[in-house]
Amino acid sequence: MTALRGYRRADGSIGARNHLLVLPSVVCADQTAALIGEAGAIAVVHQHGCGQVGDDVTFTERAFVGFAGNPNVGGCLVVSLGCETIQGQRVAQLISGRGQRVEFTGIQLMGGTVKTVDDGRARVNRLNELLALEDRAAASFEALMVGIETSRATLDRAFAIADAALAAGARAVIAVSETYGGRREVERVRYGERASSRLAAVEHAGDGAEQHVGLAGAGAQVIVSIREGWQAPVGCAIAPVVAVAGDQAMYEALEDDFDLGPSASADEILQRSVAAFNGERTASERRGARDFILRRIARTM
Amino acid sequence: MSTRLTGYRRPDGGWGIRNHVLVLPLHAAANLAADRIAAGIPGAVAVGHAWEAPPGDPDHDRIARTLAGYAANPNVYAAVLIAIRGSDVAISELAKRRGARVHVVAMADHRGTIGTVEAARPLVASLAKEAAGAKREPMPMSGIVLGLECGGSDALSGITANPALGVASDLLIAEGCTSILAETPELIGAEHLLARRAATPAVARRVIEVITGFEAAIRELGVDVRGAQPTPGNQAGGLTTIEEKSLGAAKKGGGATVVGVMDFAEPPTAPGLWIMDTPGHDIEQMVGMVAGGANIAAFTTGRGTPTGSAITPVVKIATNTSIFRRLKGDIDLDAGAIIEGEETLDSMGRKIREFILEVAGGRLTSSEVRGNREFAISRTVSPMTAFTG
Repeated sequence: MTALRGYRRADGSIGARNHLLVLPSVVCADQTAALIGEAGAIAVVHQHGCGQVGDDVTFTERAFVGFAGNPNVGGCLVVSLGCETIQGQRVAQLISGRGQRVEFTGIQLMGGTVKTVDDGRARVNRLNELLALEDRAAASFEALMVGIETSRATLDRAFAIADAALAAGARAVIAVSETYGGRREVERVRYGERASSRLAAVEHAGDGAEQHVGLAGAGAQVIVSIREGWQAPVGCAIAPVVAVAGDQAMYEALEDDFDLGPSASADEILQRSVAAFNGERTASERRGARDFILRRIARTM
Repeated sequence: MSTRLTGYRRPDGGWGIRNHVLVLPLHAAANLAADRIAAGIPGAVAVGHAWEAPPGDPDHDRIARTLAGYAANPNVYAAVLIAIRGSDVAISELAKRRGARVHVVAMADHRGTIGTVEAARPLVASLAKEAAGAKREPMPMSGIVLGLECGGSDALSGITANPALGVASDLLIAEGCTSILAETPELIGAEHLLARRAATPAVARRVIEVITGFEAAIRELGVDVRGAQPTPGNQAGGLTTIEEKSLGAAKKGGGATVVGVMDFAEPPTAPGLWIMDTPGHDIEQMVGMVAGGANIAAFTTGRGTPTGSAITPVVKIATNTSIFRRLKGDIDLDAGAIIEGEETLDSMGRKIREFILEVAGGRLTSSEVRGNREFAISRTVSPMTAFTG
């Protein structure tokens, strides 16, 4: 298999991309974040960050921090409103605590949309100057962590892909909707928490594309999305997604948005993941998908 | 007064004060296509959401009602729904029953995102052209359905902007309009006052049921409502308890009779003041009221917020002059003038009413100028727990 080349991070991990992420800490900052992102960054939008209660608050906060700390992210700008439940300033501090390069701006702090967009864009420009100095370097296979979206129906297949990754010297992380109950020995990690073993499972990761955020938080640079028959492909803002169709009819109907058909072997999927790591764009990247779909564990207040 | 109002008459009897073409994804996988389809077409607007429409989702009906209601809002001239498969018709049928003019484009008929964008853009451009050519007609006051909201409240919310908005709402209701009071958790502690104003004993019981029910649902999670309310921003703004916040929040509904209580995203069926059961989350609440048919909204804010709605003009009212000045361009009116001694509650209320009517006639609000289109779907259960067995 070809050698890996990626972006070396302060924490020792290796990125497959060098993205600048603009992360609103609350839905109320979505539009401002999107306007800032136009200066040359990947801005995500989401509907969370306020009116949350109990464990759901720490769950979401950890998801934000884990996502922004993914090795594919070379720098991050947190955009806050100011009065939100999940305070943007704290999120920025937690991201910084993971060794990530991070900047912060806020709408109430700066005094409105226009000033925040100006301030945010200046910060994006500064971060982009730093990112432009970085280049890919040779990395060992151990640097690659393949994240695998998993449902009950696809658990065996997910482990086959994980085994192919392990056999090649890489690492793998699967996601399970609630608690892991399989026979294989795995490291259990929480949604948003970084995995440290060669084989891990993100617990309480929800279903479908919600798992992508958990897999990215675990440190996966490439996400394998094994879809079920009824599901169309969903991307991930900061990681190439290798989308594998659940059935032939759906594959043919949405061929442009899938990477592989339902009969793709574990080795084929791994090869595609390695190519994606080294820079080959997946279907989700070619169409410009910027999905950021979070799992929630409680209703909104 | 009412003779100067104009709007777009809809076949089901409703009135639009804007004439948007809405591009609405029915599935998270269609978000990108929807966004690209609407991009750069004047009068067309897209929203996005995180729902993957899994089979058996216990929130399916609530979410379908929200999406269908959004498409059927009278400010929407036509809605283009982006489906995965053409056979997924549940939401488009529901939207039609709610009076929407609907077109469906299925991604599976166009090989994916790029083909879907290419196929749908000419349709959306042609609908937007039709919409731009439509003429406004004289509209009765009963055509106004006003959503009432407060967000980022502070200690002045219950003293300036909220009661002034209550004055405006009472004036408009007396002229035949409909108002919607929502954000159930922010009515906790005010339920007895609202129940006392109910049109019938049955409505009074519903008021109590809905508000205490929300509190119980939160308690079932093993958390205290007071953990999330007041929010950090509310506390920095001088609010100390949820009751204090609620008594201020309820003042947006003025003193009118409560004619009915609606579930999330349900449409009111008669003029007057309604209560809609929604979360306090600013965007989920706004989307619920808009999906229920609110064609204009008034949003008071103490800490200041830029948010708006893709299809419904939102009039933002500062509770204090300092935030109005600080967030210049994001807020429309300053009810802090009451504290400054420049306005009374009554004169401010009349000013808000006047502004609402101007916006109904076409004047753009701050969030419309900025193009704010935050969108969120409210769920009642943790997304997938029902599937895990």
